[in-house]
Amino acid sequence: MAQPSIPSTQPTAIEKVVAFIDERVGLKQMQAKMLNEPVPGGSRWAYVFGSVLLFIFIMQALTGILLMFYYVPTADHAYMSTQYIIHDVDYGWFLLSYHFWGSTAMVVCVFAHMSQVFLWGAYKKPREMIWLVGLALFGIVMGFGFTGYLLPWDQRAYWATTVGVEIMDKTPVVGDFMARFLKGGPTPGQMTLSRFFVIHVMILPAALMGLAGLHLFLFRSAGPAGPFRGTPEEIRAKTDYFFPRQVWKDIVGMATVFACICALAFWEPVVLLEEATPDPGDYHPEPEWYFLFLFQMLRLKIFAGEFGQFLGAVALPGAFMALLAALPFIDTDPERNIFKRPIALIGWILVMVTILLFTVSAIINREFLD
Amino acid sequence: MTDEREAMSPTKIGLGILWPAFWTGLPIKLAFVLVFLAMGVMEFEGRIGLAFIMLLASPVTVFALPIITMGLESHIGEGAGIAFLFLLSIPIDIWALGVVGRTYFLEKFRKEPPDGLGLTLWWKCALVGAIFLPILWFIVGTVTSTAISLAHSLLDMEMLKGVPVAERIGVELALWGSIASAVLIVLLLIGVSLIGRIIRSTAAAAPSASENYQSLVTRWDLMRVPADQGLTFAALALGGVVLSVLFWASLPVTTPHPHECCKKPDVKAQPPFKPLEALNKDEKLIVQLSAQVEALEKKAEEEAQGKNKGKGKAGKEAAKAADSNAPVQSGLRKQ
Amino acid sequence: MQPQLKSKVRCTDREIGEVTKVVVDPLSHEISHIVVSMNGSGERQVAMGLVQAITEGGVQLRSPSSEIVALPPFKRDEYVSTHDVEIAHLEDHLHVTPGEVLVPFPELEKSVKRRTFFMNFTHVVGFLIGLPIAYPILRYLMKPMYAPFDNRWLKIGNVGKIKQDDIGVQFKYKKQVKEAYLPEAEVEKNVWILRATPAVLDKVYQGKDMEFRDATGKSVWTNKKDIPYVAFSGKCPHLGCGYKWRQHKLLGQVFLCPCHLSIYDAAGKVLDGPAPRPLDALPIQVSASGDVQIIDMEFKAGTKTQIRII
Repeated sequence: MAQPSIPSTQPTAIEKVVAFIDERVGLKQMQAKMLNEPVPGGSRWAYVFGSVLLFIFIMQALTGILLMFYYVPTADHAYMSTQYIIHDVDYGWFLLSYHFWGSTAMVVCVFAHMSQVFLWGAYKKPREMIWLVGLALFGIVMGFGFTGYLLPWDQRAYWATTVGVEIMDKTPVVGDFMARFLKGGPTPGQMTLSRFFVIHVMILPAALMGLAGLHLFLFRSAGPAGPFRGTPEEIRAKTDYFFPRQVWKDIVGMATVFACICALAFWEPVVLLEEATPDPGDYHPEPEWYFLFLFQMLRLKIFAGEFGQFLGAVALPGAFMALLAALPFIDTDPERNIFKRPIALIGWILVMVTILLFTVSAIINREFLD
Repeated sequence: MTDEREAMSPTKIGLGILWPAFWTGLPIKLAFVLVFLAMGVMEFEGRIGLAFIMLLASPVTVFALPIITMGLESHIGEGAGIAFLFLLSIPIDIWALGVVGRTYFLEKFRKEPPDGLGLTLWWKCALVGAIFLPILWFIVGTVTSTAISLAHSLLDMEMLKGVPVAERIGVELALWGSIASAVLIVLLLIGVSLIGRIIRSTAAAAPSASENYQSLVTRWDLMRVPADQGLTFAALALGGVVLSVLFWASLPVTTPHPHECCKKPDVKAQPPFKPLEALNKDEKLIVQLSAQVEALEKKAEEEAQGKNKGKGKAGKEAAKAADSNAPVQSGLRKQ
Repeated sequence: MQPQLKSKVRCTDREIGEVTKVVVDPLSHEISHIVVSMNGSGERQVAMGLVQAITEGGVQLRSPSSEIVALPPFKRDEYVSTHDVEIAHLEDHLHVTPGEVLVPFPELEKSVKRRTFFMNFTHVVGFLIGLPIAYPILRYLMKPMYAPFDNRWLKIGNVGKIKQDDIGVQFKYKKQVKEAYLPEAEVEKNVWILRATPAVLDKVYQGKDMEFRDATGKSVWTNKKDIPYVAFSGKCPHLGCGYKWRQHKLLGQVFLCPCHLSIYDAAGKVLDGPAPRPLDALPIQVSASGDVQIIDMEFKAGTKTQIRII
């Protein structure tokens, strides 16, 4: 489609190959269908987060595979093999730090992407299924962060996982089974490491790839929602195709995120604490930063006691996720302009501010632990 | 029509030009950031978020930053790289402001963008920034520290003393956080609006662009396609390759931050343990040391007897000497 | 009704040609224009607003032919066909081609009973492939999850270490554990032991000897309430962190867990914090010479009732 017409009678070698494939699979039409998707209102920087997430996932998979060349998932060797990567393998520290900060970038971009979709009202009819699959993908990304965190097997990793799994245990009926399943026993140990490794490296990537494919398919079926305001004349004037304009913006977004992750890898390369021991000693367990707000919430008095912990750790977050899932079915008003949806706007601001408040509180609270 | 009316609000104008201009320049600046970080000429121990924002907003921060760093004694990082980075940002920002400015003039103002718009916008932003940002920094800093101490003393009141730690932190943070954020946002909006006013007066002097909406959009869209594509791509590729090679050459091979707390433990090969030899050696050592202890004890007794007639001080010294033997004895017991 | 391709187009005065193309608006998905052939003298694009009526045979326009001829010629370059772009659901409600394109229906597929039978048969076979492996997979994954308890007595030190009453003293010990296929390893654990005064002892036992039973209900050991030594498991009952013995500014000498600030008194009762139950006491035996033995047990964290897990 992007090839200029060559005023010659003989087709070039490339053109012959393309014609060969096109005759058999309808390549030209497939290309047109895949690339020439008009984006109403034009390509936008606000739309890049989905593609950026895909890029981050691919980079995580790549760096993850590279790490697996040296990392050994046994309690005896996990720590030393990770230290080996950091100190002895050429640029190992950089790849590991990239993988670590890439997971942070992924969570940040997931929040950005979900916020963009929410604010643009792009979860409403006919995009309900895309939203639901997206929520599942969100859960998978959190799962990646949780399972990957254990693998270095230092004090931070071990204890964040212990506390996290115990919290999951609070779920009624299935909690004990789920916690024992994840731990591979009554307490965390080698079985836990093996299971978390399999989940992190095989099960979650497969699930992510499948669901991301479904997510993209559903998105294409519905078409891009476009801007939430503008006259038809304005929208028509700025409409361009997905390729090359939106793709170009996606790539620049990817390059920027790539550079940011690299910069973070320099600023704070991965440093392990001491190797995990069953006694935390002087170490204060803490989960990854994107779980800190939940961690801090559970310190509040209203969530004290067994029922309180269940409420704060399982019931409330669960109810919130259920609300998000029900959102396209509750909010049937076709209005997509965020400035005309006050409940949505205020709700979003409240949620973001609350998460920020609790996250920063958790960081401040560190000084209050003797 | 509503577009033009809306676009006339100075805050909207300011945001409409600054926000895209910040992000347009960022990818290029980041490329240089990476090379400088790899070379080790830049360090940001703590305030990386602030550094990012400063770099992002470099049209307005380029002169403000030295003023803040030197005048107000604030510090975002170390290394000659930071200064060099901001110098490099100048041409990048002029270009970015040019692109964004011309787009905005065409689409929102429906005016012909004047020549050298990028440079004009740049020095105006830099000037406003140089004056406004240090003031903002000072005010926000003062308000924040005042709010923190106010919130703190509020929760130290008698009737609120019993509030548990987690709730206390949350409430204090909400109190001073909202005050500081509100002040910051308001001041930022004022600053943005100032710049918007300046841009609006620049636009007022410009001639009208007569085309219809679609033509204007097409014009600013095609404006982004360079006249000589081959040259542009060759220059970009070459620049990228040079930076990459610099990056490869200067990237540290092993971690640059080993951190004192938790070094990788050195695994030393343990010498083979020979039990009989060890036993014999220990027995000999015990005999030797007991002989030493006996000799010392004898000496101490003699000294104590000799100096007992008279000076108490000497007696104390002898007692000290006897005490210093005690760790040796307990050391022996452990063996 | 939608204008059909190849149908005749009539103006008020005469027939001018047929519908050769239809233009659809990408935003509203509605037909915006028809393109008329003008009988070979240059196609014209006619807005749907000029259409008065659409019948079976054709399209009736409300203007005279002179007006239509005066319209600018149709520029094909300004448009692409639906084969060149992807606009979701654009053609869902478009019925501009009269007639249908058909392919023959295989004779064998005509029997609905046959189709239903093979469909169900496929489901059944699929299920029967899955069923036999489901149970082994479940047991495979569950193998290490419910291990039997180890009720060995472990020597952990001597009470001579305890200098004062009602003060928590940490006893660190090593336990041999064998996890799955791993070689037997030594795990470092700790318990807190206090030599309790009768007041504190009473708070711990509350008048009853402490019985420890296994899963079948058989008694494993009984801590007699008059033995002054109490051993508490080193794991906080809130979420399993290791807690300490500290001086608290308001509550005096207490057990304090740094993770979520659960505070217990010397008898293990909860004074403050999110702990759901008091500290877990362990079976303890103190010999005449002061050597302490305990059975190492662990209990589920975060529950009000004490549930043994190791």
